[in-house]
Amino acid sequence: MEVIMKSLPYLFDGLQVTLKVFVIAIIIGFFLGLIVALLRLSPFFILRWIAKFFVDAIRGTPILVQLFFIYFGLNTLEFISLDRMTAGILTIAINAGAYYAEIMRAGIQSIDRGQDEAARSLGLTNVQSMKFVILPQAFRRMLPTFTNQAIISLKDTSLLSVIGIADLTQRGQVQIAATFKAFEIWIVVGVLYFIIIYLLSLLSSFLERRFKLS
Amino acid sequence: MTMIQVRNLMKSFGENHVLKDISIDIAEKEVVCIIGASGSGKSTFLRCLNRLEDITSGHVLIENVDITSKKTNINKVRQEVGMVFQHFNLFPHKSVIENIILGPMKARGVPKIEAEQQARELLGKVGLSEKEKAYPASLSGGQKQRVAIARSLAMNPKIMLFDEPTSALDPEMVGEVLQVMKQLAKEGMTMVVVTHEMGFAKEVADRVIYIDEGLIVEENEPLQLFNNPQNERTKAFLSKVLV
Repeated sequence: MEVIMKSLPYLFDGLQVTLKVFVIAIIIGFFLGLIVALLRLSPFFILRWIAKFFVDAIRGTPILVQLFFIYFGLNTLEFISLDRMTAGILTIAINAGAYYAEIMRAGIQSIDRGQDEAARSLGLTNVQSMKFVILPQAFRRMLPTFTNQAIISLKDTSLLSVIGIADLTQRGQVQIAATFKAFEIWIVVGVLYFIIIYLLSLLSSFLERRFKLS
Repeated sequence: MTMIQVRNLMKSFGENHVLKDISIDIAEKEVVCIIGASGSGKSTFLRCLNRLEDITSGHVLIENVDITSKKTNINKVRQEVGMVFQHFNLFPHKSVIENIILGPMKARGVPKIEAEQQARELLGKVGLSEKEKAYPASLSGGQKQRVAIARSLAMNPKIMLFDEPTSALDPEMVGEVLQVMKQLAKEGMTMVVVTHEMGFAKEVADRVIYIDEGLIVEENEPLQLFNNPQNERTKAFLSKVLV
């Protein structure tokens, strides 16, 4: 017990890093996903192809390989120099972005075509129809899947410990090295992840209920 | 004055030639009803009038503006051409009044207060003043369609297109929608109505057009067309729908 109490402050520091990486990565990933989804729905073949290539490449490779490629691979290039934090956030963001792109594409396509036709027949532009009519409905529909992907991304951040980012997992390892209490420390680390993820799903169901009301 | 000119309009979906060669003029304040069997191309024809369907060949002129031309800003033209759909297509995430003010605010840049004031007037006109804050899901089919009409009217269009506006309604709700449309016709709106409501066509239309297999088979004023059809295909169709 004493060991746990002593390690908690260190673990909380790690949790902060985990949350910071997660929040930044998920925001970047969200907008990246949106852009890629819109490219995939664009009328131009070459844009659709680029977007599809990106999604396939990310989905078809393990995230650990992506992390190593970005941190070790890209850094061998002369004109690129990424610190581990940037590389870590970038990996999570790009990975989430590819999955978000697919979720958003499906969500956008699930909206009845009549919605766009109604908006366009009022004289709204393509972009306005997307912004005011299609996306607000699609986002509501996508919320549960979004949360799911966000939770996966949060868990993926634990992989960043392998390139030395001092996140919750890495702090756990350090604490175990210092105390040899693997059993206790890993339980605490697991519980901390669980609490965050549980709060995240609570937030999602709260938002879902709120949207349903309106 | 001619509001709509259609010249040699053709529309194909791949190998399927839906509209073969349609030419017609529709005058200001005229109410034209289009009848025909399902699959005859009548809805496609209507959707070509605001270019919801791309036109394969031919020309469609709205107030002398060729909407088939690449140079035409179709969004500007659509602001003048309202459209009412069979399935209403209200925006489910927006309240009734938000549905109505979206077009004026975003497409025309009307300030919110002004748009809301006009929306309330229109809701009064279609008899739904008390539903301002309701969401589409809580409305009946007839109410939805009346909101949809108000939404189109909010753009102050010069032309209104109706694509089978009562086909998805329960029978007891058809009347309330037709009532609003009759009122519009009386006020001098130029209207093109694809419909199965022969009673409405008879009573309100200035001209009825029978389309079959992508061609205008026959057109005439309603009494003539219904009571004295000239073409055999028109006769066959009418004998099926007029009981």
